[in-house]
Amino acid sequence: MATTTARPAAIEDGGGASVDLTGDDRRALLRYMLLMRATEERALTLYRQGKVPGSFYDGRGQEAVSVGAAFTLGPRDRTCILHRDLGAHLIRGVKPGRVLAQMMGRAGGVTAGKDGNMHFADHQLGCVGMVSMLPDMALVTCGLAIAFQMRREPRVAMTWFGEGSTANGQWHEAMNVAGIRKLPVVFILENNQFAYSTPNDHEFAVDPVKRAEVYGFPGVKVDGNDVEAVFFAAAQAVERARSGGGPTLIEAETMRMHGHGAHDDMSYVPKEMVEHWTARDPIDNYERKLREEGFDTDEIRESVKGELDAETEWALAQPMPEPHTALEGVFATEDPVLGDGNAPWSRWQREAANA
Amino acid sequence: MPEITYLQAISDGLREEMRHDESVFCLGEDIGAFGGAFKVTDGFIEEFGADRVWDTPLAENAIIGTAVGAAAEGLRPVCEMQFADFISCGFDQLVNVAAKMHYRQGLAVPMTVRLPSGGGFSGGPFHSQNPEAWFLQSPGLKVVAPSTPEDAKGLLSAAIRDPNPVVYLEHKHLYRRAKGEVAEGRFEIPLGEARVAREGTDLSVITYGAMVQLALDATEDLDGASVEVLDLRSLVPLDTGAILESVRKTSKVVVLHEATRSCGVGAEVSALIAQEAFEDLDGPVVRVTAPDTPVPFSPPLERAVLPQPDDVRRACLELLAY
Amino acid sequence: MSSSPTSAQTTVDVVMPQMGVSVAEGTVAEWRKRVGDWVEADETILEISTDKIETEVPSPASGRVTEVLVDVGSTVDVGTVLARIDTGAKPGEPHADEHAPQAGPAVAEPAAAEAGPLPEKAHPPEPAEHGGNGHGPPISPVVRRIAEEHQIDLSQIEGSGRRGRVTKRDVLAFLERRDDAAAERPLHIESPYRDEEPAPVQEPAPEREAAPAVGGEPLSLMRQKIGEHMRRSLDTAAHCTTIVEADMSRIEAARKSGREKLTYLPFVARAVIAALREYPMLNATLEGDRLTVHEEVNLGVAVSLGEDGLIVPVVHNAHELSHEGLAARIKDLAERARAKRLEPDEVRGGTFTITNPGAYGALLATPIINQPQVAILDLEAVVKRPVVVDGDSIAIRPMTYLCMSWDHRALDGALSAQFLSAVRRHIEEWSG
Repeated sequence: MATTTARPAAIEDGGGASVDLTGDDRRALLRYMLLMRATEERALTLYRQGKVPGSFYDGRGQEAVSVGAAFTLGPRDRTCILHRDLGAHLIRGVKPGRVLAQMMGRAGGVTAGKDGNMHFADHQLGCVGMVSMLPDMALVTCGLAIAFQMRREPRVAMTWFGEGSTANGQWHEAMNVAGIRKLPVVFILENNQFAYSTPNDHEFAVDPVKRAEVYGFPGVKVDGNDVEAVFFAAAQAVERARSGGGPTLIEAETMRMHGHGAHDDMSYVPKEMVEHWTARDPIDNYERKLREEGFDTDEIRESVKGELDAETEWALAQPMPEPHTALEGVFATEDPVLGDGNAPWSRWQREAANA
Repeated sequence: MPEITYLQAISDGLREEMRHDESVFCLGEDIGAFGGAFKVTDGFIEEFGADRVWDTPLAENAIIGTAVGAAAEGLRPVCEMQFADFISCGFDQLVNVAAKMHYRQGLAVPMTVRLPSGGGFSGGPFHSQNPEAWFLQSPGLKVVAPSTPEDAKGLLSAAIRDPNPVVYLEHKHLYRRAKGEVAEGRFEIPLGEARVAREGTDLSVITYGAMVQLALDATEDLDGASVEVLDLRSLVPLDTGAILESVRKTSKVVVLHEATRSCGVGAEVSALIAQEAFEDLDGPVVRVTAPDTPVPFSPPLERAVLPQPDDVRRACLELLAY
Repeated sequence: MSSSPTSAQTTVDVVMPQMGVSVAEGTVAEWRKRVGDWVEADETILEISTDKIETEVPSPASGRVTEVLVDVGSTVDVGTVLARIDTGAKPGEPHADEHAPQAGPAVAEPAAAEAGPLPEKAHPPEPAEHGGNGHGPPISPVVRRIAEEHQIDLSQIEGSGRRGRVTKRDVLAFLERRDDAAAERPLHIESPYRDEEPAPVQEPAPEREAAPAVGGEPLSLMRQKIGEHMRRSLDTAAHCTTIVEADMSRIEAARKSGREKLTYLPFVARAVIAALREYPMLNATLEGDRLTVHEEVNLGVAVSLGEDGLIVPVVHNAHELSHEGLAARIKDLAERARAKRLEPDEVRGGTFTITNPGAYGALLATPIINQPQVAILDLEAVVKRPVVVDGDSIAIRPMTYLCMSWDHRALDGALSAQFLSAVRRHIEEWSG
């Protein structure tokens, strides 16, 4: 088992393209993390203003995991994204306004009010939305990969799940199937220390990343608060999958900095633990690093704020759904079409330009 | 047209679809080299290869869950549960992931789950169930239950072509007993259309699956009464028009199924009739079903539980005399 | 309807009502409630029959029937107490009447917990009766609907279902029989005329007495009443029948041009009324030796009740009505007659009667006078016939025979013929 905690040397992918981050890529990584946090902070404000029905969940502190991993994907790759990973949706092209409208149950939300909070996906951007039962989407991700494999397509499916779901039988079924068929899948295990209130030592006796080996594929552990570390680990796994090398399990160690939901005061979390992880905030650290390297991070912050203000205005202008739409869409009348997602990494930009 | 068995018709239907459309593939336990526990996919792996005839590990959620993903990507998976009973192990993927996908995010999931169902062979409580009612409570799933070889083939094609998850109940009792002429080549029997298996004027037996033939046999000679037998064929969508039409004609209804009684298809059909055809009724709507017990193993116990021809006959005669 | 609280203050009597001024007695036709039954105020408790009408008697109070004092078929004077109702009882409470073991609260029974093929209800054995109120075999929804649609009194049908329940098949068979007897269902009007069929074949006197018919059934109360009336009329009046032929062309044209397609009847009725105004001697009643010539025309119209018999409701002040008004009144009376919802006065006071069985194709009949009137007009089939018109040419015209029976005690043939000619004139010169 390899454990990656720092930036590796340049990785050669199957096609020989170098895996590297340009200055624009690094600005983008920071920007997506900031956009995720700003969107979730705004959503929490709307929740506290009584504009968000039901409950509210966010991924504060875990921004580097979704952003770093999703940034590696090409447009035709596919995802099943977890509810702590808004950054992945934003990278694939979901606008923050649609996310806010989604949380407010508005007609303009991604599911038009059919589902709430982070239970959404824009299939036109290549994402199949999660369900609450975890980690059900791990098997669906395997199914997406089976389709690529059967059609001999160099494409990859990526999914995220928490360490809590590694205790569920379906997790085993997914790992087993992926291993048997050497599926082009990347599993991102987000160890955010708690399954709701249950700590790691109640969840497993052995670090689940070690299980990968017995399923027949590599397990890699990375610092989940280091966006570039996550990126490079994921990029390596993605290229491996794309070239027929099979699945990878990446455990990104991080910390859920909010309660399970807005109703959860985290009283079960030791104070020192919160302090420890607060000092390791993925955005603060990356922003400081880029600033030290001469990037104008204030400009990025300003641009995020401007975008979010406009998106919030748009979301608040969206109407509530018409009641009759509750009866619509139970059955499909047409075959599915999963569209392609955004792929902001410069590598894909270059490929698109060369194509 | 050649006369073939119900089993052969299912096999033919699946093979025709796989020949016709490369996106159709099947997956399940022991369906490859072994040809399936009931030999539906006998010879498939030789014709289509291991990629399209996937011998899965013993993991029903994996079978259905990966099918959801493959379907979302544009394939048309046909899952085989070795026995309908084992659908419980794949239930979560079916009712939470597959069934709700289109409603929640507009993403169709065209997949078929074949369920070899039903009892009568001392299969005991885990190899004899008729679990269809579970899926009637799960909006987003279609449910079909063919009773003849022709319907078996035509409904399977329609299920595979449908853009929704379809639960396809194939009754094990019919596999080699039901024989009939079936057209060669591909054809579809539309989902949601019942079939009048026999016309009648005095009483309607509304049923599906293996109970259709039982109803036909049991009511063939009922003191000269003219008994209509309506084969629902699809349970979701339910052909309410055909049900109400039959009720309006005969005004007396026996609803028959092999599955257990409470909240079953019979309850749904009865409630529909009570609500929509009350003023056409000339007697209580009568259910003949298995009681609310598991299916027991020992032959006399199993016979006591599963509807027998005499049960149907008796219920019809009582209702006719009402 | 009158009722009188008894000294107990909680008992109300149900008495034989006075169904019109001339009626002195009535016959109990059917009890809808039995001892022990709960009855709501104004709910039908029994049906009675007088020589004028059959009608439903609404209960004077809500309560439990404690006594039924007059049996079905018995005729009693107006004012006689027929039943008693305990108004202190409560619905659903068991009642203390010991000699009515079958009586129970007329409310739904607890649902049978048994999961047998057919829910066996725990009814005690009891004679078939169509109460529809918790007693007697139930009336199924489809039977109730068909009965309402076709205005069928279910008590007329013998049920073949469980405990004598009337099944859908029974009611459809009944309907078929009734429809066979009445091809044109909506408004079937026929005359109380004497049976003109050849009398039972005059065999040589039988050597031995005819065996009593096996399986015969007694005549219904209504048939008995009709028989009495007809017999009495033949015994009373000096019947004579006069016939004229009328060309219905103008009326035929008027029927077709009207907003609503009407039968011939209201046109002929209108013509009859006009003629009666010219010949008031026909608009008269003869009782004993007292002849009364009436100013207003109260026109009786025979309405068939199918197999049950017929009734003659009266269009009062018919001379004030146009043919359209007459058509509406006749339709209304006929419908309510079949629904047994006629008021007593609506079958009383007739001064002249029309009967119209023409729908069945008969050409001539000799009707029996509706006592104490002095004449009755029979309208028979309208058929196309070649007739001589305008000198010596032949034309095809819709023709009918107007057959009028009249009482030779009150008038003579010349007047009858004049009157009929006047009717014909009004018909042939119809101008609306």
